[in-house]
Amino acid sequence: MFDLRLSPEQLEIRDTVRDFVAREIRPQALAPARLEAFERPLLAGLLEAASKLGLRTLALPEDAGGAGADALTCCIVTEELAAGDPDIAAVLAHTAALGPLLERGPFLARFLEDDRFHLALAAGVGTAQDGGEWRLDGVATAVPNATVARLFVVRNGSGALLVPRESPGISVREQAGDWYHGSCGEVTFSNCRVPAANSTGAVGSIAPVLPAISLGIGRAAYEAALEYAKVRVQGGKPIIEHQAIAAKLGGIAMRLEVARSAVWRAAWASDHPEAVADRSLPDLSLQAVAEAFAPEAMLRAAKDAAECFGAMGVMRDMPLHKFVRDARICLHS
Amino acid sequence: MDFELSDEQRAWQAKARKFAKEEIRPVSLERDAIEDPAKTWDWDLFIKGSKLGFRTLAVPKEWGGEGTDFVTQALVMAELARADSAISKSFSQCWKWSHLIAQSCTDEQKERFLKPFLADDTFVLGKGISEYDAGSDNRLPLDDPRAGLKLRAERRGDEWILNGVKAYIANGNIGKLFFIDARTDPTVPLRQGITLFLVPRDTPGFRSGKVFNKSGWRFYQNGEMIFENARVPHANVVGEVNGATRKSGGGGGDTTGGDLFGDLELAANALGICDDACGSALKQMRETRRFEQQLVQLKLNRMHALTEALRSFVMRVACEHDRRIHSPNAGLAMNFSTDAVQEVTELYMDLCGGTPHADKLARDSFIWSHLAGDTVQRLKVARRLAR
Repeated sequence: MFDLRLSPEQLEIRDTVRDFVAREIRPQALAPARLEAFERPLLAGLLEAASKLGLRTLALPEDAGGAGADALTCCIVTEELAAGDPDIAAVLAHTAALGPLLERGPFLARFLEDDRFHLALAAGVGTAQDGGEWRLDGVATAVPNATVARLFVVRNGSGALLVPRESPGISVREQAGDWYHGSCGEVTFSNCRVPAANSTGAVGSIAPVLPAISLGIGRAAYEAALEYAKVRVQGGKPIIEHQAIAAKLGGIAMRLEVARSAVWRAAWASDHPEAVADRSLPDLSLQAVAEAFAPEAMLRAAKDAAECFGAMGVMRDMPLHKFVRDARICLHS
Repeated sequence: MDFELSDEQRAWQAKARKFAKEEIRPVSLERDAIEDPAKTWDWDLFIKGSKLGFRTLAVPKEWGGEGTDFVTQALVMAELARADSAISKSFSQCWKWSHLIAQSCTDEQKERFLKPFLADDTFVLGKGISEYDAGSDNRLPLDDPRAGLKLRAERRGDEWILNGVKAYIANGNIGKLFFIDARTDPTVPLRQGITLFLVPRDTPGFRSGKVFNKSGWRFYQNGEMIFENARVPHANVVGEVNGATRKSGGGGGDTTGGDLFGDLELAANALGICDDACGSALKQMRETRRFEQQLVQLKLNRMHALTEALRSFVMRVACEHDRRIHSPNAGLAMNFSTDAVQEVTELYMDLCGGTPHADKLARDSFIWSHLAGDTVQRLKVARRLAR
């Protein structure tokens, strides 16, 4: 059995998010003034609106109050969001992926109620048991969601600790520059203590949502180029009717489809761990395949799309330069 | 076959290297990071360079310029671009059009325009061809009279009245003198219906519009030019009326001002970026002790191979230009420089990450996509091969 059909639920959530992106995100994220500005602060209002759609708690099981989405659904949602704004997509993807850890702990109610309650995984922090508490010390660098997180997840042996942002001994510093999507920073834990009750199960692998961000960027670039190629007339006809441009657009579409296949296959593999044992899938990190393939293919796609726009492809009040830059960030961050 | 440079060529190269290292490099990232595109330009730096001869490098000696050959020009562009591609282009853009003045203007026009250009360190040149609805159609002209640039020039007595808008014009907002391609006969195909005019900044009816905000080459200015009943004396017509393509294209039927110099310019500038990326990557890989990794060595190998291939191509084209050998090589070198500079800067980012420097090189080299390596520029060269 080889079945590539999406479920009715997956199709529905894709349509919902696509519509939200078209109506709410794109008009703000791709407004010329925002495109031109060097600083692009996170669109906090849109993050909240996305949370109200259930995208922050996307992967939390349904009986805990989430949408119970599997890895494939998370990738679909992430691509849709990234086609509007990779920053929003990245923040939500990280929070959603860590959400299931809160299912049975003391933070579930806050997580569900507060649309601004985001999560971050802080790696490389030392933990030590001290009476009925755990003590945390160390510096985690390049932590996605560092500046927006209300709760940090810190690996602890085979499980993890949930550490609220307001715990004494935590300081956060935003990462310099803007070579990342969403939020990023350094988190320092210094004699930070949490009760043993904050222990939780193992941190699962974050589904291939990061390459899914690059898919969204590539698709936005492709759609922009396709639309423009139909209306821009040079050489006596719409430029899409010239072989040179048609072949370029065809190449972009091809890369997009192949990259999406790689990402979805990795997501499906993560949802069906038994598929390796039954020899349906190779014993190989399909996530690594997707992570290596998609961002590179999407940078090429974004560059080719920008070229269709001539000089406008490098102008800051147009979205193409941002698509190219966003694709580079996916490849090199 | 002789690859050795003359003493004079080496002297210019050394002078450019010194100026690039001491004056350009220290301000490169700083100017690039200025948010307002109209404020990235640095007159002090430009005047310093002008006083050293980098603005007037291409003006023949008999008219009071430096009179350098193409090989020297290529060497200087690459040296300056190694410190900052956009700043190098800001100087060489003046050479491009001083070549045109020297080749195409009458002695009377040279007297009126070349002399003030030589005397004034802030005298910057430009050329207006592109319009919002005419980009590729100017590069690959059609037989349909409706295709191509629309800016209209109509004769009234001893004057021409210009109406229309030019877009994406280098130095459009700061230049003191422009070559402007205008339609003087809208009923015939582009090739037969445009005339080239010399338009000084203070021409009545001409004004600058918006300054374009580019993602790369931020130092290098680019503006919109608006003509509303602008009055240009007939004495400012370059060559013959309806003969712009013959003059600016050197007989090649090229209406984009791509004289001998233009294609070489982009290839030589790209070479400077490649040298910068190679040098920076090698240095960082040694310092961070990552050089031992095979994948690092393979990437460094590829970067250097492309860079040296480009250098060979650039110097060969420059040498052919000096011997007045016309061939499609200049165009091919320009096309190839796009592939080389983008792959090299991307490999540099692979090795060193998205640092502000790697990011700038990637943004600067992406400019080549629409100037030097787009499909139209490649088609144009292919058609020349078949002629």
